[in-house]
Amino acid sequence: MGKLNTSHLIEAVAWVAIAALFFIYSFEFNQKIEIYKFGATAWPRSILLMLMLVIAGNLFYQRANGSTPQPGRVGISEDDLDDAEKPLSSYLNIGSFLFLPLIFAWSLKPVGFYAATPVFTALVIVLLGERRPRWIIGITLFIYAIIIGLFMIVLNAPLPQGTVSPFYDFSAFMLRMNTQLQNMF
Amino acid sequence: MIENFLAGTAALFGDPITILIFVFGVVGGMLFGAIPGVSMLTLAAILLPFSAGLEPAQGVMLFAVIYCTGTYGGAITAILFNIPGAPENAPTAFDGYPMTKQGRAGKAVGAAVLCSAIGGTASALLMMAATEPLAKWAIRNIGPPEIFALVFFGLAVASSVGGNTIWKGWMSVLLGLLVATVGQDPVGGINRYNFGLTDLAAGIAFVPAILGFFAVSEIFIQAEKRAFGKYNAPKLDVNFPTFLELWRYKIAVVRSILVGFFCGILPGIGATLAAFMGYGEAVRWSKDKESFGKGNLEGVISSETANNAATGAAMIPLLALGLPGGALTAIMVAVFQFHDMEPGPLVFYNSPELIWVVFAAMFYANVSILFIGLIETKTILQLLRIPFHFLAPMILMLASIGSYIGRGLVLDVMVMFLAGMIGFLLRRSGYSIPGIVLGIILGKIGEQNFAQGMQMVHYDLVTYLSRPICLILIIAGAITLGAGVYKALASNRVGAKQG
Repeated sequence: MGKLNTSHLIEAVAWVAIAALFFIYSFEFNQKIEIYKFGATAWPRSILLMLMLVIAGNLFYQRANGSTPQPGRVGISEDDLDDAEKPLSSYLNIGSFLFLPLIFAWSLKPVGFYAATPVFTALVIVLLGERRPRWIIGITLFIYAIIIGLFMIVLNAPLPQGTVSPFYDFSAFMLRMNTQLQNMF
Repeated sequence: MIENFLAGTAALFGDPITILIFVFGVVGGMLFGAIPGVSMLTLAAILLPFSAGLEPAQGVMLFAVIYCTGTYGGAITAILFNIPGAPENAPTAFDGYPMTKQGRAGKAVGAAVLCSAIGGTASALLMMAATEPLAKWAIRNIGPPEIFALVFFGLAVASSVGGNTIWKGWMSVLLGLLVATVGQDPVGGINRYNFGLTDLAAGIAFVPAILGFFAVSEIFIQAEKRAFGKYNAPKLDVNFPTFLELWRYKIAVVRSILVGFFCGILPGIGATLAAFMGYGEAVRWSKDKESFGKGNLEGVISSETANNAATGAAMIPLLALGLPGGALTAIMVAVFQFHDMEPGPLVFYNSPELIWVVFAAMFYANVSILFIGLIETKTILQLLRIPFHFLAPMILMLASIGSYIGRGLVLDVMVMFLAGMIGFLLRRSGYSIPGIVLGIILGKIGEQNFAQGMQMVHYDLVTYLSRPICLILIIAGAITLGAGVYKALASNRVGAKQG
């Protein structure tokens, strides 16, 4: 096993699983192309083959050196945190912070940008540790005003309006206000 | 050339509307480049529909100016927040961000302003002198096999920076290439890896990927540090480097101008490859290699000089061959098409006045970086005063809009946040985020040119490799790759001996 530890093995298994998933799924589009001998699967499968070789190389390296970076590498990330025990609440906090944006992204279609933005902004501020209600509301409104001012009023950028009432109605109200404002000038 | 340049200048500054568009492009490019979460591409995507109402020269000039100043602006966010405004600013973050953490943000940003202006201006001058002869040479000598060889070489260079090991560098690049296979295959248009989602047939756009892997993952990392009590706010510093400090790096500047210009000519990958190569060459020639990635000013200087030197050069394949050199030049193709024009050699004959207005505007935009950039930078640096828990939601919102605007797909916002989560996990494990992003950008270009090249030579590898430029680049890429693997294997032997 050398200097291999469980996290190295989990990492390797995760990579192999990704490669396997992509390889299996490649049969879905395994069709011939009249003008191209190698077809649609040759390129992704070549990448997967190389990926398997590199995964093996990485495991071989980790067996000899553990997680120590290769000497002489340039631009190495310094993002590692130490492995000391952390309180459960910290993990819950960062877990919520990781998933909140996904929920926001998912909500954009039904709820729309105009209604989802203030809620998301306020939740991010709270998750990042701010507990003073005045600050949470004030900063949320400030960010909302900047974004609406720049993208809706100045640039007229088309943003998702939502599909579900009353969110759709709120977006329509915002756009009507914008039209009236534009007509004033 | 001088007569044409003067005529272009007269056309540029002879019309108040054109002047306004120029100033808007200069300020807009700098601002959007320097606001974390959005980039010059966001501005370009928003402005694209409006360009139909402009004169052709005004429209193309606007985007060329945004390209010059936005490339510089992207360095600001790379240095201050580890969020490159565009892929070509990625190597700037390697040393720029550590400098910010050390309280030397002013030095890094000051160097970026000056070197962007020098690199861009030199490139604009070279572009004016060389576009036509280089276009003629490129038409004869650069085809799909050469472009594929360049992609291979660019990826080999990218794999050698960023990851903890050569293996992780390549795993990052290969992940990017794999992501790039999602969507239609570039030869037969067959849907690949859309996992039942119709929107995925259009592939993964690289703007959400860039924003996710850089901006969102950085916010997650900082949020984690806050949650675990490890967050250190970046230190504000507005001390710009002195002229003497920068004079020490004159050779690095000249080398990066040459590297940047010649890489910038290459269609599809120019500016990004230029920045990586400029940075890579700085490391190669430095006596203090170990200090790179830890806050070496030369890293910022090399990367920023090279990527701005590539802006002028990137116009050569666009104007001479009709091949975009990157995302923004790809948008410029659309501007040409809005006006029933196709970029390519004929533009030189049919619309020489357009060409010279664009050339003059790019020259003056690069000069203005020095003056407006210095004033703007002092203001932008104040962003570091804003507490992270107020800045983070702003960046996330701007990044969401930046992702959505390009194609109007909510899926892109989802992709951005997923990329942020994946980037967060991969960065903590020593993978290379720039490697992944470069893989995504170059994947489709590489596959398309490989396929076209193979069709050209009737699948005969010997004929493929008998093209000298192609062979040289493949060998250079293989040597870069081989050297990395050799070093990793040597580390294995040392590690095994140490037990």
